[in-house]
Amino acid sequence: MSGRVKGDNTVIPAALRAFVRGGGLTLAWRGALTAALVCVIGLLPWLSRTDPALTVLKARSAEGDPTPEALRAVRDELGLDDGPLWLLVHWLGGLLRADAGRSWVSGTDVLPSAAQALGVSLMLMAGSLTVAVCTAAAVCIRTLWSGSRRRLGGRAAGGTATAVLAALPEFLIASVLASVIGVQLGLLPALGWYGPQWMVLPSLALGLPAGAVLGRMLDDLLPGAFVEPWALAAAARGIPPTSVARQALRRCVPALLPNLGLFAVGLSGGAVAVEQIFDIHGLGRLTLRAALAQDLPVLQTGTLALIVLAATAGVLARLAARLLIGPALRDGALHSLHRPTPPAPRTLPLLYGALLAAVIGLGLQRDPLALDTAARLQAPSWMHPFGTDALGRDVLARIGHGALNTLAIALAVSAAALVTGALLGLLPRLSRPMADTVNAVPAVLAGLLVTGIAGGGPWTPALAVAAVAWAPLATHTSALLEQERATTHLTATRALGAGPWYLLTRELLPAVLPPVIRHALLRLPGIALSLAALGFLGLGSQPPSPEWGLLLAENQPYAERAPWAVLTPAAVLALLGALAVTAAGGVRRPRLKPRSGQPAQPAQLVPEPPQTPLLTPPTHTP
Amino acid sequence: MRLPRRRLIAGLLLTPFLSGCFASPAGGGASPAGSSGSSEGGRLRVALAFPPTENFSPYGDDAYQLSRLGVSEGLTQLDANGTAIPALAESWSTENGGHSWLFTLRDAKFQDGSEVTPDAVASALTRAAQAEPELVALSGVKLTAKAVGDNQVRVSTETPDPVLPLRLSSPRLAVFSPKAYTNKGTVNPVGTATGPFQLKQITGDTAASLDRFDGYWGGRAQAPGIDATFIADGTARANALRTGQADIAESLPVAQLAALDKATVHEKPTARNVVLHLNTESGPFADPALRAAAREAIDTSVLANTVYEGYAKPGQGIYGPALTWAAGKRIEPKGRARATHPNGASITIATYSNRPELPEVAQVLQQQLQKAGFKVKLDVRDVARFEGDALAGKFDAVVYARNVLSDTGDPVSVLASDYTCEGSNNQSQLCDKKVDQAVAKAASVTDAVQRQDAAMAAEAAVLATGAVVPLVHMKIAMGIARPVKGTLMDPYERLVVGTGTRR
Repeated sequence: MSGRVKGDNTVIPAALRAFVRGGGLTLAWRGALTAALVCVIGLLPWLSRTDPALTVLKARSAEGDPTPEALRAVRDELGLDDGPLWLLVHWLGGLLRADAGRSWVSGTDVLPSAAQALGVSLMLMAGSLTVAVCTAAAVCIRTLWSGSRRRLGGRAAGGTATAVLAALPEFLIASVLASVIGVQLGLLPALGWYGPQWMVLPSLALGLPAGAVLGRMLDDLLPGAFVEPWALAAAARGIPPTSVARQALRRCVPALLPNLGLFAVGLSGGAVAVEQIFDIHGLGRLTLRAALAQDLPVLQTGTLALIVLAATAGVLARLAARLLIGPALRDGALHSLHRPTPPAPRTLPLLYGALLAAVIGLGLQRDPLALDTAARLQAPSWMHPFGTDALGRDVLARIGHGALNTLAIALAVSAAALVTGALLGLLPRLSRPMADTVNAVPAVLAGLLVTGIAGGGPWTPALAVAAVAWAPLATHTSALLEQERATTHLTATRALGAGPWYLLTRELLPAVLPPVIRHALLRLPGIALSLAALGFLGLGSQPPSPEWGLLLAENQPYAERAPWAVLTPAAVLALLGALAVTAAGGVRRPRLKPRSGQPAQPAQLVPEPPQTPLLTPPTHTP
Repeated sequence: MRLPRRRLIAGLLLTPFLSGCFASPAGGGASPAGSSGSSEGGRLRVALAFPPTENFSPYGDDAYQLSRLGVSEGLTQLDANGTAIPALAESWSTENGGHSWLFTLRDAKFQDGSEVTPDAVASALTRAAQAEPELVALSGVKLTAKAVGDNQVRVSTETPDPVLPLRLSSPRLAVFSPKAYTNKGTVNPVGTATGPFQLKQITGDTAASLDRFDGYWGGRAQAPGIDATFIADGTARANALRTGQADIAESLPVAQLAALDKATVHEKPTARNVVLHLNTESGPFADPALRAAAREAIDTSVLANTVYEGYAKPGQGIYGPALTWAAGKRIEPKGRARATHPNGASITIATYSNRPELPEVAQVLQQQLQKAGFKVKLDVRDVARFEGDALAGKFDAVVYARNVLSDTGDPVSVLASDYTCEGSNNQSQLCDKKVDQAVAKAASVTDAVQRQDAAMAAEAAVLATGAVVPLVHMKIAMGIARPVKGTLMDPYERLVVGTGTRR
């Protein structure tokens, strides 16, 4: 996977050998991680000291009386007294014979239902990926258009709309789509999973935010590609802009492919809310129900399917990246993808910040807990600028009071995820299988696992979210790093006698970190939401706390009758996303790179030293 | 271009493979949104709330789904007054000093064509009595069944059981043809029950398709069949009704009702209560005076009118208005403790989010109790993560929804399981001699009316301890599309589709 073979005519076999050698190690590591995860899941009830007989009994029959005899009967039926190890060994043994056991709750074979759910999830994933790719294309079409025509100069990076889209919670988009397009307009079916037209709305709900994040990341890289020497040469030769645009995509997409893979897998296991709203029986709901009921055979099978899916997606993404820019990576013939000019300081973040501060400031002066059942679900008015919720509380007050708590924890988790992600991203062979595996674990399961291992404390939800949130950042870091290591200027710096430490701190990190930081900021609203999603395990914020995720969740059933109660918190969350993304321009301004010491100049200028010999597209296939 | 065309062809070749990833619409082939209109009315499309958890095993909760869809029946059924009326049994009488009951069967057929014989009924009941884990309807009862003559069954119990006919109305004690019972102890209800509709196809826990059973003893059903889907999310269920994907959507959440066409919302009081259990064993509520303070601080009409938007009645007792006999027999609890000021006593109220109204109830209670001087924290979880801790007494108070007649149809059994020292669902951790005596006394009364009187006395004893505060008596809210007639509104939530249901 290092892929950097000192080239001669035995390049291909050597590369193959290196790949296999690296691949073998990685495979072993991947296997070990998977085994560890499956084992921990097998131990979950014993770790968290929750009696599986009781949860299974209650899952079978909500009103069933948990008499000692009934619990004993369940225990005998499932063989719980044999202990977790025996159960695990038994299940693994069955797996070798393609028998994933029987569900503890329903007593039916796990494999057929898991396969069915997997099929549904794969379809949903394909649909949402299509939407995501289209969204990403829409996001960066402007950059592609003007970049390929060399008219990019001086244009301020946009991103507000994208950031807003990326900050919108999936379940909110799903609710709005289902009730407006599905129910009120009747254009598309609002629930079920019976054919292609049933795929549209759920795919949109999942694909739009994901596509916005991906598009933003791509849009971040594209301007750098257009100022590479080959682009200038192509323009000079009169190569059509579409070809230039295609090559620019080819240059930038490999850095995103691993993240695309993560998204795809995250969409299949983490689509619970959307699956619920559209009544789709996918892997997300299967694992959620199994996790809550501690139905271990189903949970283990579902998680295993997700992990295998994740590994496949990861390997496919890496192969595709290799296909696109493999030779250039091998030959170290890439250029650093830097924006030609640092983004100018902008007034937008100030505006957003002021707006956010104003909302929070106004809200803080009101009482977020005062119930007034006589004033339920009231529309916005002078008394209640953002309306009231189902218990007659002032929504503005709740947003204001929830802000500090929500933002503080989300920022802390994001920062932790960023540091972890960046550090682990430096060790791709170690982190890639870890990131794939961790990313495949549904959020609720992660919450249960962390509670099982670390116990349920006030920091458990933050820990559970951080345990998963680093994965995309690490993947992003390592993908960028791989390209950065293959740049010509790095070879030059090395030739000048720079040591590895100097290279890392002065060349690699300054080049890689800014996009990763912007990525982390883009995910800030999502982290705020996923913290709240753990509430129903009895972790994290509890009502009546005005924490934002909770706020959105508790008002969601009233979305149609009192749209303001969900739309205003969502709008504030989107404002936060926009603020984070636009302000990120300032984060990367003070750069220590000697090369960029040159004054900001029109975009047509090539930032690379003119002695670089390659004036061809980066991926000339031999 | 060459490449895209190749991709297109590959895509087209993949299509049949991918179409396997869609659910097949219930009803076999027809679009679920389309109506299969025929001259005698179309198949009914029913959206049920609780997916089958045990592959339609009649011994678990799925028994209720079988009963709601008109698939299975027992020897008896419950009428609106809570008394047993004939179903598969035409009549019954007690004999042998109450140790056994003799049921006379009616002329009926199983859906597989065979006759409902005394032997088949006896073996079905025997199987149910031997089921593991023990059926809730039979808890504490040792039951044996024997065929007598050519149309009678004698059901005996170790100790006299005055409510046996009520018990036998439980959907879990439905009768299936001998073919249904496997050696492994499971029951296959497909085409083996006796109701007006027979299961034809089960699609996992997502859908089921049923056809009319023409040989039903009560006459042919009007609807030619049922396409049932199981939609757990309340909003999605309401959407199914609003988009015309379902004719009947059961148990809609209150929040969705305002958005529905008024003519499609039907309501009826049920035997389901929401109560506040106070932990009598540990914490501040071990003090009866504080329990009294909590009871006095709670205004239940606010809950009924705002959180439930009128789809519930303020709590009166353990037995609500759905049990029509209870209203005239209520006894004022005696010897209640006097309330003292809580002085900032700190309590935790727990509830679960699976019934979306309960967290809101808890928040209103929080406010009311805080006004009275308590310090209140809430803990809202998924029911699976809630139940264990609640039964272990880890919370000071628990908001809980409970069907007081759920399985046995006997009003006393809920008191025994929820409020006696030995009770298995004792969320108040209550252990009170007077209550135990009153419940034991009620359980021993054989006459139905006197048993109700005794149950009311026991209710008063429970309420006197202050261990429970009845909050509201819920109504079922069912969404029924306009053209559909004859949907059953059952206070015990056991019936939805009957022979007269049609569209």
